[in-house]
Amino acid sequence: MKRRHFLRTTGSAVSIPVLLNGLSISALAKPILFNTVNDESDRVLVLIQLFGGNDGLNMVIPTDQYDQLANVRSSVILPENSILSLTDTVGLHPRMGGLKSLYDNGRLGIVQNVGYPNPNRSHFRSIEIWATGSSTEEYLSTGWLGRALDKKHPGYPTGFPNGEYPDPFAISLGYSVSETCQGSAANYSMTLTDPFGLTPLAEGEDDEIDTLYGQELAYLNATIAQTNAYADQILNAAQGGSNMVTYPDSELAQQLRNVSLLISGGLKTKVYTVTLGGFDTHANQVESGDSTQGKHAELLETLSSAIEAFQNDLEELGLEERVIGMTFSEFGRQIRSNGSRGTDHGAAAPLLLFGSCVNPQILGDNPEIPDQVQVQDALPMQYDFRDIYGSILLDWFEMSITDVKKVLHDGVQYLPIVSSCGSTVSGQQVLSNIPVEIECYPNPFSRWTTIRFESETEWVRLSIFNALGSEVRVISNQQFSAGRHEIPVDTSGLSPGNYFCRLQLEQRQKTKRIVKIE
Amino acid sequence: MTTSSTFVRQKRQEQATPPTLGLSPYIGPWTFEHASHLLRRGMFGPSYEQIKWSVEVGLPATIEKLFEEIPLPAPPINVVYQNDNQVAVGETWINARYSQGNLVDEMDYRERSLFSWTIGLMIEEGISIRERLTLFWHNHFPVEAILDPKFLYRYSNLLRSHAWGNFRDLVKEITVDPSMLIYLNGKQNSGEEPNENYARELLELFTIGKGPQIGPGDYTNYTEEDVKQFARVLSGWRDYGFTTHESDGDFGAEFFPSRHDSGTKTLSHHFNNEVINNMGDQEYRHLIDIIFQQDEVARFICRKLYRWFVFHEIDEDIETNVIGPMALELIANDYEIREPLMSLLASEHFFEMKFPGVIIKNPIEFMMSIYKPLKVSISQVPDEKYYSWYRLFGFTDLMQMTYYNVPQVAGWGAYYRAPLYYRDWINASTLPLRMDFSDTVIEEGIFPFQANGPKMQVDVLEFITSIDNPTDPNSVVEEFAKILFPKALSQVKLDLLKGVLIPGLPDFEWTAEYGEYAANPNNSQLANAVRNKLRNLLKTMLKMSEFYLN
Repeated sequence: MKRRHFLRTTGSAVSIPVLLNGLSISALAKPILFNTVNDESDRVLVLIQLFGGNDGLNMVIPTDQYDQLANVRSSVILPENSILSLTDTVGLHPRMGGLKSLYDNGRLGIVQNVGYPNPNRSHFRSIEIWATGSSTEEYLSTGWLGRALDKKHPGYPTGFPNGEYPDPFAISLGYSVSETCQGSAANYSMTLTDPFGLTPLAEGEDDEIDTLYGQELAYLNATIAQTNAYADQILNAAQGGSNMVTYPDSELAQQLRNVSLLISGGLKTKVYTVTLGGFDTHANQVESGDSTQGKHAELLETLSSAIEAFQNDLEELGLEERVIGMTFSEFGRQIRSNGSRGTDHGAAAPLLLFGSCVNPQILGDNPEIPDQVQVQDALPMQYDFRDIYGSILLDWFEMSITDVKKVLHDGVQYLPIVSSCGSTVSGQQVLSNIPVEIECYPNPFSRWTTIRFESETEWVRLSIFNALGSEVRVISNQQFSAGRHEIPVDTSGLSPGNYFCRLQLEQRQKTKRIVKIE
Repeated sequence: MTTSSTFVRQKRQEQATPPTLGLSPYIGPWTFEHASHLLRRGMFGPSYEQIKWSVEVGLPATIEKLFEEIPLPAPPINVVYQNDNQVAVGETWINARYSQGNLVDEMDYRERSLFSWTIGLMIEEGISIRERLTLFWHNHFPVEAILDPKFLYRYSNLLRSHAWGNFRDLVKEITVDPSMLIYLNGKQNSGEEPNENYARELLELFTIGKGPQIGPGDYTNYTEEDVKQFARVLSGWRDYGFTTHESDGDFGAEFFPSRHDSGTKTLSHHFNNEVINNMGDQEYRHLIDIIFQQDEVARFICRKLYRWFVFHEIDEDIETNVIGPMALELIANDYEIREPLMSLLASEHFFEMKFPGVIIKNPIEFMMSIYKPLKVSISQVPDEKYYSWYRLFGFTDLMQMTYYNVPQVAGWGAYYRAPLYYRDWINASTLPLRMDFSDTVIEEGIFPFQANGPKMQVDVLEFITSIDNPTDPNSVVEEFAKILFPKALSQVKLDLLKGVLIPGLPDFEWTAEYGEYAANPNNSQLANAVRNKLRNLLKTMLKMSEFYLN
């Protein structure tokens, strides 16, 4: 509604940098405008889905918050000296040596506090939100990558594969297709367990095609035929491909080994999805007496060693500039540990990006851990996950901003998470590199406080999140002129406790803890 | 590659179909195809004999038989585990406590026993709709990863005993079922620390459904504030006895007045602004009575029954002519499921013959539709039988449908997730599993979970004696097709199949060869020749897309 209003009042928005709900993209600055995912590109995205809700605070540790963390998650906290330092204030879990070495070599990016405004703590709903790229309030039946592929291939799967597109667009290692790849007519991902184990399936003939029965029959026949047709391509790629390093034995590593094999064998698949389950660590997340051991530690080691082997393999094969990878999980976990050496469902969490073409940076701030933490408190988001999706579509798949907005939402914001890597980037302008700061005075406050910040001429969304990670009040959501701003805020209606003030400028986000007292 | 195939469903309007028939009783001719449609949808994998029986007795008697009251099955037993101090081999464990220090092993064998038993109930069912409805309710009121099999057994029998019973009573029972209290965090829901998980799903998925959002936090049938108020009403219940070592092994649900929010709750205008005062452990029942005053509850559950038994697509026409009348009948019968469901399955609409074969079988249906009509051999020795069933459970798990582990609180994707619906079961990984499975059960046979005990296998020479005319190759192919497929095959396909049975040979060769074998059944050479031909035919038929349809 806001957007329509904005369009009406702006007139010719095309010739100036388009400012819609906070995204500033100069259309003219973009060197080449692709209407859709660029098919000429040989770039590959690998998604690693961590099922169960990964405890981000136990993976990327804000070491400047160590004492507060030790205070409230005493039953799972790692010994301070075991944490692998990435920077003065950020460390990795000790079992993630592989990822530390990737970071040290400029192959790992971390985005802090990724989530969405009104987090849903149901696994299923939250998985669906992450897969479809919807907001909490919205139910979509297609996946974010499926919609991106639909833009270019509206007729899919009828007529595929064909001479121009002989390979599957996406491959899901395992037994189920990825919901991220669900298009409007079919899922773009082909499931694959063993690239060498593909034997031709018996193909059938259609009948009574104009009946409901005939249509289901045709669907089955077509799926079988498509599987067979893709199977030849996959087998050829597998036979022509190679791996240059030894992978760990884990299923995840073996799946990534197959991904690397297929890429090196020349398969033109754009998206591979793999999964690692077991992150729902309500109990026994760590071993009693040694918090560096236990379920979560093993999972993180599995993840880290698999990614390290994969990245090394790609580099040995000379493919590293063609592949980036990303991890995601439906949510992080609560700040407090529970009584069973575990943690319960939370909200925002860090997300990992890897590859030679990702920005090897830690984007975002360490979460602020208050002294007082209630049982269900979780981390508020600093970055919306859809901005990460959008930035990958823009920079990695060179999709036009118009289409990215159609695939995701109008308010999508650009984040510099993919680096140029020697080839074309999508030409998004970085408006300002100056870190944004929020001041809040008084803080703590009882009813009134004033929030100060500085912006360019840009769209600003200023809001308050509660300790559960939900956006409970939008203070301002409008265009601001350049300069310093002071906004008095009446907090009546909010009960006393910890809150977070989140400032979202066009390309910069900041979250600051604020406290309301009686 | 058949590129002409349509993945995209054509719009119903584009087909010159007549308007939908409604819920009036079907009174047309009662043929094999009609009986087959009813039994394929009303139970798991009917046999040739069962379908022929139905043709003989007619529609009303078949419906009566499907809904015939039968006692609850004997409970699962300990078939083999020697080290359970509480439960001897041959006895049931459903109320037994766990031994100190042996919890993991005891839970493990009891869980296998439960899973095996559940598969066995579907294999050994007669003409009854009960197991299919039990699975329907499992999909409707899902649970996942409940580790204590005692809890799951109670949950499963709750669904089974209410299969076509009173929906309102079932909602009341499931609300305080110990497995559900765990699964949707009812046990964590207290006045002090509310947990809205169950309250939300009770509205959104279990009873009234979420309508379009018509205002901030207003989903047509209820509001966000209702969710909050519902959670308050439902607070105070916890399960007890989970994996208990206590001497009597008792478990269940318990109400704690101190954990209950005893304040006054006010519902939205969608529930007539009803005010609920403290009623302690009776309050949830009162709340459920309030929900059921809304007729939308009846329409909601009738749509789900329709998707389970008929087809996923519900257009306005079907909403008006089928769902509406079913809902009225449900309300008129005080929410007894039996009456509207019987009406649906005996209706003109159900027997508009466009519905046979439009549902893609789920993995359990797929397996049952091989095991039962083809009479796959299973050992009758208790432990071998259980381990055979457990092997089947493993295959359904591999094919992505695991009883007692529903992946989503909304059920399996096939029954709610547009646009794929039933197509969700089929992909490049699950198709080869299905094909391997059917090949193996015909050719090599499948061992029970542990290698002791005989293989499960189709005895093709035995099976062929159950058809009317085994000596005519045309009859063999035709009758096999009638047994295995939901619709008659085209003559072209029948001819192709005959070519698989007797490649390039005239019909009389089969008649001669089979006749010779029938006269000398102990001649292994003759038997082998016939067996191989029949195996080839059946393997081919079970890999046809037609076989994946129901």
